[in-house]
Amino acid sequence: MSRKITVLNPEGSAPEVDGKSLAPRPTGLDGGTLFLVDVGFENSGDFMDQLQASLRERRPEVATEIVHLRTPFDPVPDVYERIRNEGSAAVLGVGL
Amino acid sequence: MPAPVPGRTPAELRAYIEGPDPLSGEQVLRALIDGLSRPLSDRDMDGVAFERTRDRLIEPGAEEDLQRLFQENGWTDSLPVVLPTEERVAAVLAGTSHAPDEVVGTIRAATSRDFWSFTVEQAAVNAVMAGARPEYFPVVLALLASGYTARHSSISSIGQMVMVNGPVRHELGMNSGIGALGPYNHANSTIGRSFGLGSQNLQGGSVPGVSYVGTIGSPFSLTSLTFAEDEEHSPWEPYHVQYGFEPGQSAVTIFAPVRSLITAPSGVREDWRERASVLFGSIRAGGGAILLADPLAARALAEREGFTEKKALIEWLAANARMPARRWWGQALQDIFYGNRARDGVEPWASYLKADPDELIPVNEPDDVHVVVAGGRTVAVWSVLEGWANRRFGSALSGRTLAIDPWR
Repeated sequence: MSRKITVLNPEGSAPEVDGKSLAPRPTGLDGGTLFLVDVGFENSGDFMDQLQASLRERRPEVATEIVHLRTPFDPVPDVYERIRNEGSAAVLGVGL
Repeated sequence: MPAPVPGRTPAELRAYIEGPDPLSGEQVLRALIDGLSRPLSDRDMDGVAFERTRDRLIEPGAEEDLQRLFQENGWTDSLPVVLPTEERVAAVLAGTSHAPDEVVGTIRAATSRDFWSFTVEQAAVNAVMAGARPEYFPVVLALLASGYTARHSSISSIGQMVMVNGPVRHELGMNSGIGALGPYNHANSTIGRSFGLGSQNLQGGSVPGVSYVGTIGSPFSLTSLTFAEDEEHSPWEPYHVQYGFEPGQSAVTIFAPVRSLITAPSGVREDWRERASVLFGSIRAGGGAILLADPLAARALAEREGFTEKKALIEWLAANARMPARRWWGQALQDIFYGNRARDGVEPWASYLKADPDELIPVNEPDDVHVVVAGGRTVAVWSVLEGWANRRFGSALSGRTLAIDPWR
């Protein structure tokens, strides 16, 4: 039988996961504004254009607004604030 | 399953949105609306909090079992590692004056993921696994403290190139000569491997499909192309001196993202300028460019081609490697990197945006062109790599030149 040895764990220290809960859901989207967020990856803007067109045709009671992020790599608090104030929900499109 | 978004026509995108999800069979649009408005349970609303702590020591085991455990846990680069016993880790820790429990920094696999933190000891564990010797440890710490990861999760399968300058090259016996970028030198290989293993373990993993999404992967990732610059046979100032270091200081540069390496089919002959324009014009626009020259090629460029100053060579390469504006802007993700700068009026990108689609514009600005020297002086070979370092606009992807001496 091979001799047992003791070794160190090579992993770093994980951040603590805090107690965020999911955002409350609206009971419906009718009459509200659904923000469609294009994060800028390949073709995600075209995808949002088509999603908006489809919603306008099939769910005309849901208002939509497309916003484009300046960069997908950094926080954009002004966009978050606008969605919080004016929107009932948002869809982020990553384009992958 | 084909990717639903990139490369799709508007009609295809519309059909995807209104069609069945390939996995669930439910209409994509309906699933989207339901997901936004379906009531949540109390459990959903409670949130969750937990700490992911881990023991410093692994449960004792036989060597072959521990090798298997490290492989199964995704802690290796799929090759056997040196198992990090307390004695071996203590030996590597002797290579620095920094305390084992000192927090070195934070690192993450991508901007969309959380930062993990790590200590000197945790870095040393990975250096042991890579086979590094204690005297290499300050270079390893400088690399890992940078915040750049050698296991960046990008769909485009990026790698890094690591180059060492200054006296530490000789102290560690690093290779800047024959086979400098190949697997022929212990320090080159294990410093680069330490950067890779350390990155993946200290950031919380690099698991294909989970925390690594590079489609084809990068062969550069094993040792991050680690080598030393041949300062002694270069006709120009050492690379780190360009960025504010004294020649007597030791520094290490991370170039990233490196996706390609093209070696010219001829040395420095009478057609060098034509060939250089073509090769430097064929890499990713705005992705940075590195001329890696054997000392014989460097000398020929200085003496025959008249580039006695490195700056003149950089400016010539930037000015003469061009492509049509439509191809420059038509490259995937180019708007993410340069579109907003162009629309904000930042030059040269503002002018590139206004250019006629067929106008030939520079592939890279001078700040993004680098010249480094290494090789065995057997032939005047030169190569072109893609990569950034020391950018005026920094990013999580680009690298820079880092001091080694504070980590001794």
